[in-house]
Amino acid sequence: MDWLEEELKSALSRKEPSEGFDARVTAAAQRRKVTPMPRRWLAAAAAVIVLAGAGEGYRWHQGQVAKDQVMLAMRIAGGKLNRVQTQIAGERQ
Amino acid sequence: MRAVRLLMAGFCVAALLGAQQFKFNLDHLAAKAKEKVELTLNKQMLQFAGGFLNSKDPDEAKAKGVISGLEGVYIRSFEFAQDGAWTAADLDQVRNQLRAPEWARIVGVQSTEDKENVEVFVRTEAGKVNGIAILATDPREFTVANIVGNISLESLADLGGQFHLPKMRTTPATPPPAKKKD
Repeated sequence: MDWLEEELKSALSRKEPSEGFDARVTAAAQRRKVTPMPRRWLAAAAAVIVLAGAGEGYRWHQGQVAKDQVMLAMRIAGGKLNRVQTQIAGERQ
Repeated sequence: MRAVRLLMAGFCVAALLGAQQFKFNLDHLAAKAKEKVELTLNKQMLQFAGGFLNSKDPDEAKAKGVISGLEGVYIRSFEFAQDGAWTAADLDQVRNQLRAPEWARIVGVQSTEDKENVEVFVRTEAGKVNGIAILATDPREFTVANIVGNISLESLADLGGQFHLPKMRTTPATPPPAKKKD
């Protein structure tokens, strides 16, 4: 049993860490702090930006449609009123 | 459940037609038309469109000014391939809604040459014009417009002079010329 005890004592005896061990651990911890944003967050952010852009694009398109409708309405109503005006002016002369 | 749906649909239609001052009832003509323009622009839509009108463009700037006082613009314009697609009854059912004391016909012109007929009515409330109706027909065209809102004769003239067309000269102090024509 003596040889076993000796082996265990040797295996479990306190050993000093190698030189620079604490500096390496600190450096590793620092690296972990500045790890870039996980990919899923980047994907989510990109999706939000794309959706916001698409929404704004759709709103712009709707605005153009509404503007065209207003201009068409002005053209129709203005054209009819102009016909009245032309007729009245012609009769006055 | 069906009754609730019908009620909700009714509310939606009422909201859409809220500002319109008379009914068009022209769906049967829309079905026959070769070309059609159906515009329903309520106040929210006009305000939204106003945000996209360019103040630097003279036509758009003018249109922006005209629509700023409006509650709605409702237009149905149909063009037909042949004569006789619409009847006098179609015109009468619209015209019959434009009656005194609310409505007054201010002008009506009839061209014997191209058989075109244009009538303009104004709606007044408490001495203030708050709506205009335009009925314009020729053998192959039927147009009805209702411009709703606080619109003066001056802005009506602006509308007539829009898009480089000559302005309509209005003299509010004199009686409307249409009364004499009738």
